[in-house]
Amino acid sequence: MSVDHGPRDEGSVPPAAQIGFALILGLAVFGFFVAMNTESELRGEDTPLVIERTERGAASVEPVPTYGTLAAVGRPGGSDWNADAARLARAGGEGERFATKEAALADRARNRAYAGAPPTIPHDVRQRSAAECLACHEGGLRIRDRVASALPHAELASCTQCHVVQEQPMPGPALPPDATFATNAFVGLQEPREGDRAWPVAPPTTPHPTGMRGECMSCHGPDGREPLRTPHPDRQSCQQCHPPSAALDQAAGAER
Amino acid sequence: MSMDTDRRTFLQMSAMAAATAAAAGPSDLRASAVDDELRARMGRGVRWNKAPCRFCGTGCHVQVGVEGDKVVAIAGDKLADVNKGLLCVKGYHVGLALYGEDRLTRPLLRKDGELVPISWDEAIDVIADRVELDPAGFAIYGSGQWTIPEGYAAQKFMKGGLSNNHIDPNARLCMASAVTGFIATYGVDEPAGCYQDLDECDVLIMWGNNPAEMHPVLFSRVIDRRSRGEEVTLIDIGTRRTRTTAHCQHYLEFEPNSDLAIANGVAHLLLKNGTWDRDFVEKHCAFRKDSEPRQLVGDAMTFEEYRAALEPYTPELVEQLSGVPAKDIRMLADLFGNPDLRITSLWCMGMNQHTEGTAINTLVHGLHLLSGHFGRPGDAPTSLTGQPSACGTAREVGTLAHALPGGRVVANDKHRAQSEEYWNVPPGRVNASPGYHTVKMWKKWSTPKDEGGDVHTIWVQVTNPGQTMPNRSKLIEPGVADPDKFLIVSDVYPTATTEVADLVLPSAMWVEKNGLFGNSERRTQQWFKMVNPPGEARDDCWQTIAVARRLFDRGLPGMRDKEGRFLFHVEDEAGREVPVWQWSRYYDVNVDKALFEEYRKFTRLKHKDLAPYDEYVKARGLRWPVAEVEPGVWRETKFRFAGFDDPYVPEGEDFDFYHSTTGDGRAQIWFRKHADPPEVPDAEYPLWLCTGRVLEHWHSGTMTRRVPQLRRAMPQAYVELSRADATRLGIDNGEVVRLVTRRGSLELPVWIDGRGAPPQGSVFVPFFDERLLINFLTLDAHDPFSKQPDFKKCAVRVEKLPRGEAGVGDER
Repeated sequence: MSVDHGPRDEGSVPPAAQIGFALILGLAVFGFFVAMNTESELRGEDTPLVIERTERGAASVEPVPTYGTLAAVGRPGGSDWNADAARLARAGGEGERFATKEAALADRARNRAYAGAPPTIPHDVRQRSAAECLACHEGGLRIRDRVASALPHAELASCTQCHVVQEQPMPGPALPPDATFATNAFVGLQEPREGDRAWPVAPPTTPHPTGMRGECMSCHGPDGREPLRTPHPDRQSCQQCHPPSAALDQAAGAER
Repeated sequence: MSMDTDRRTFLQMSAMAAATAAAAGPSDLRASAVDDELRARMGRGVRWNKAPCRFCGTGCHVQVGVEGDKVVAIAGDKLADVNKGLLCVKGYHVGLALYGEDRLTRPLLRKDGELVPISWDEAIDVIADRVELDPAGFAIYGSGQWTIPEGYAAQKFMKGGLSNNHIDPNARLCMASAVTGFIATYGVDEPAGCYQDLDECDVLIMWGNNPAEMHPVLFSRVIDRRSRGEEVTLIDIGTRRTRTTAHCQHYLEFEPNSDLAIANGVAHLLLKNGTWDRDFVEKHCAFRKDSEPRQLVGDAMTFEEYRAALEPYTPELVEQLSGVPAKDIRMLADLFGNPDLRITSLWCMGMNQHTEGTAINTLVHGLHLLSGHFGRPGDAPTSLTGQPSACGTAREVGTLAHALPGGRVVANDKHRAQSEEYWNVPPGRVNASPGYHTVKMWKKWSTPKDEGGDVHTIWVQVTNPGQTMPNRSKLIEPGVADPDKFLIVSDVYPTATTEVADLVLPSAMWVEKNGLFGNSERRTQQWFKMVNPPGEARDDCWQTIAVARRLFDRGLPGMRDKEGRFLFHVEDEAGREVPVWQWSRYYDVNVDKALFEEYRKFTRLKHKDLAPYDEYVKARGLRWPVAEVEPGVWRETKFRFAGFDDPYVPEGEDFDFYHSTTGDGRAQIWFRKHADPPEVPDAEYPLWLCTGRVLEHWHSGTMTRRVPQLRRAMPQAYVELSRADATRLGIDNGEVVRLVTRRGSLELPVWIDGRGAPPQGSVFVPFFDERLLINFLTLDAHDPFSKQPDFKKCAVRVEKLPRGEAGVGDER
């Protein structure tokens, strides 16, 4: 069994030696998840992961200039501008890396109203066409540390039906924000943490619904947030060992 | 370590499971897609239940995740035939609509100009006083967001209790022309087909319709077929490029109001080319023209007269009238003339908010009938609705000024007698003269008493006319200023209407109460209350019943049935009356079920049979007529009037229009003349103004603008202007301009090549932003049959502001 753990933040992983043993003993999966749990182990807490869903501010949204205005405003990214996606793919960097699984999940939650909500789009989009989305998201793209995740539901063709811009840059002066609309007391469902395991070394079940998340590698592949990446990217048949939940997936036969 | 982890996880799970079990009280005997143990593990105590989405008329089912007493998550319901697990961005965020921090939580009465908190008891007294002042001048303005029992209770209170027909819904602004179109064509309201047509059509024609934004789940149901390798031709017949246009093979841009000419041009070619369906028409159709004066059912005409009337509408003339190239009119005619294709037409506000709305509705039905593209899966003329129960409540319960439940009308002696019988009220209780339709109701309210303004009070439920009525300065402001007039508003948030109300009542919304909706494809859907409303907010249905009871206690005779019992007499299983007018007792029984079972009796007359309440608890909605095929087994109907599916078509017949206006089983193919609209651009007001919606915001935005994800994605209203007009006027993208019509003016930033792109000569403004009320500018001219106003067309001038004067939001 060949297992690649991928890069890891050494600082927060005291039981690195254990992982080595685990590898040798062929208990790689188990070891990986022990390591995943290290931080909460050390804290000795049962408190669930609570993620503050603070949205990225308007400053992170880069308006897309039209060709008409390009000469005046310049290309985003300055002189490094390169519009050839094929040449950009995997250009440098290591993708998005976080010290802990919690931090990675918190980042994931940042543009989702609750676990399972469609993410909002952290960049401007063309208003009347979805075709552009696929240029980067069809197979996924990583440019240094910015990642365009691979489309996990290729059959759905109306991107903007579910995904809206995180903060629409409107032309012209904005109205003063209405204070009464600024607050919403909704507290969303937290991201699930780990799957169920029948016994300690069993592969975990999928802890989240798989509807519209059919492409596991979109989040767990080499461009996903580390440490949410799979330790065994060579294995292609995810659900062979990590079965989804019939109940979470509202499958036929599940009680309703 | 491993054992520790495992043991602790196990203990955690057990504790959560126990907590879940403890949280699940007796009111929790509901359908759920997720089993207890897994709930505890995966969602830490989240309970999942079905409910139809709160927003548009598509009628998607969502799974609502509830933890404690709060909604925490939403998922598309995979078992729902409408949406098959998918939602749109509004639907995914519908749970957040409950938690805007400025929810109304206490009744408020205006005293010395300020809204101050009062008790519910006091509030109910205030309403009862207003009714007693003059029961005939009391009106209710409701909505297509009323649940079926809410609308039924209001209807029974007014028509069966107060003998007063001044009750009308905001649906009058939304789909009234679709109703008159269906009645004029088939003799009975609502589409014959269903959403399966979208799966099977070869050609989808959208008439002034932008489903990519307004009915996104239905639109993607069509375009996702392409991902599976299927071919479907999409045609947008519109006045502005939209997200829908981006997915269409053909975009036919027409001059506003000239859609009648386009439909006539296609019919002209079908006859000329001999490609109309002679067999279908001879067996199942008749021809109809306008009578003098114009009546909804019109006058019969012969086929030869019909042919002669269409004779002038050559493709060349139509091109001249509409701007659509003659070759595109021929293309449409060739499609309709091909019997091997399946063609579905979709429309919504473009055809309904139209001063000739009834006419264009009948013409599009007529094209499908004339060409035989009717009644086979994929062959359907289908109107969409914008509200979740525009069909279920406004149309079926008939909360319109002229209607009674189940397709009845107040002017019909038999219909009144039947209603009185079902309501168990004395003969003569129901008033025979129709009440005031929406525009008239508000006009009467905005007219002084001594000048004939005989409506003194309007009780608004579940809608926001302060933002959505056209020509607000004429229809609302005078009433607000008149001390004799009183406005009561039941709502969940402060709105442009509560702002001018005299009494504001805090309402429960969506899964804070039990409910039933009816969607655009005749599907009736049920849900249970899942969380408590905030503060003192209470169900609209309870509010109506509580007022009725107060009047009963004060001795108003109309609040009693024939036996002297309360109009809303509800019994428990042991047959004892439950005082449901007391809020603390309201959920002792399922009042929805009691009202629905009573209402169900009304639904047989027009063959819109509904099943017992409990059947809807089990289903993700059922499409009427729901027939009991054997005792206890209920079967829904997908294709109405079609012999292969509709149980009311006699054995052996392929089609039967069994509510035909001519009584012979035939549908009517109408001829309607192309006519100019009441206001057209001229030298002073040279552009067309169209208003409408955007994907992110639902109608007046009171719910969606409180959802951060939706508000940030579409933060404010704007005006779409073509680049050509902008260049001509010297206006930049983002510049604030002043829009001026004969009725008002408003300053807005320009968005060129934004969400939509109007052609030269036309501008578009969305109406969701209560800070930028475009309805001070719109026209209150309306369709002669449906009384639905035209929000899509009026003449406007765009003024460039001198430097330094620009300020967004200055209005009037």
